Amino acid sequence: MKTNFKKETKESSDNLTKYEESKDTANDVSPEEFEDFILKSGAKGSFMIYRSKKKDDELGIDTL
Amino acid sequence: MAISLETIMEKIQCASYDDWVKNFALNLTNIWNESSAAELTPTNSKTKLKSAIVIGRGPSVKKKGHLEMLAKSNFDGAIICCDGALINTLKAGVTPEKFPNFYVVSIDPYSPAMKFYDDKIVDQYGDKIKGIFSIIVKPTTVENARKSGIKIHWLHSLFDYEEGKKSFNQISALMVRAKNHSDGLPAIQTGGNVGTSSWFIAWRILKCPTVALIGINHGWNEDDPWEKIISHGSNFVKTDVVDRKSATFQKLFKKIHNPDFNCNCIVDPLFQFYSSALKEFIVRSPEWLTTINATEGGSIFGDKIIGMSFDSFLGKYH
Repeated sequence: MKTNFKKETKESSDNLTKYEESKDTANDVSPEEFEDFILKSGAKGSFMIYRSKKKDDELGIDTL
Repeated sequence: MAISLETIMEKIQCASYDDWVKNFALNLTNIWNESSAAELTPTNSKTKLKSAIVIGRGPSVKKKGHLEMLAKSNFDGAIICCDGALINTLKAGVTPEKFPNFYVVSIDPYSPAMKFYDDKIVDQYGDKIKGIFSIIVKPTTVENARKSGIKIHWLHSLFDYEEGKKSFNQISALMVRAKNHSDGLPAIQTGGNVGTSSWFIAWRILKCPTVALIGINHGWNEDDPWEKIISHGSNFVKTDVVDRKSATFQKLFKKIHNPDFNCNCIVDPLFQFYSSALKEFIVRSPEWLTTINATEGGSIFGDKIIGMSFDSFLGKYH
């Protein structure tokens, strides 16, 4: 995921976190970090994304 | 990277597969007796709407007063309300009496969604609202909507169709076709959440050539409380599982700059997952579709996304 950070100009609401300016992907979350957080926090979300070798099917099927 | 996150989410979601099958089994009689979402597809150019507004419950809806602006407008397209935004939308005066092409969408197979239909104002307007539900939505959620008078229209949410005849998508489709729905039901890509599902419904089922998004932040405002951000706005998510001063925390809760609206937003892990998928699908959408992000904040920007203030949208596309 590409990101476009801007230097922090004001402190966050509870003053706990500041972000560093960065434009590379080194600061992207790793799959392991993502999974660890999701499992520990219970942040499940609603559903999953459908993937197919038939790329058009990924945009939906008129009638199934 | 995106694929890896998707694989993780697939594994986590599929842990609830048994619940989805159970939901479908309990919904099946009603599916047979109720409508297909395909009935909502316009059959000629006279009934086809020129534009749709998808309403999510992102923080900018309240911050920018978008519902109040919409209530005062003469917008004559489709209102497609994510289930979680329904009660606030109606309370703000965006009602099916003023906007007769009013839809609500539910795709979440879990229990919390049932509360989205549990309010007197839903009962007041329910019989004028067209509901679009996945066949694996929790039956109690659909029943709450049904009790309020919302007319139910069913569709499939794709997740394992690729696996062939023995996939749930294909077996459930055969069962649905067994009675009354011989032509089957539409099947949509959900993108993992109801906001992306609603965007798909707007153009794939309602065939609207212009789709505007409000409240689809897929991120948080900088001044939102950290507890809300870390919990993804939920009461069920633990907020003390990662050190807020760690590098990992900064990666999990990224601050990104939205160049369309010249603002920053914080994107939690689930929104990182959702927003990258929605942006990908917008890029892959057909040429005849225009997607306008009028959320005025959040993480949805980039190729084929026109960032525009909601006021400008309403002035241009009423």
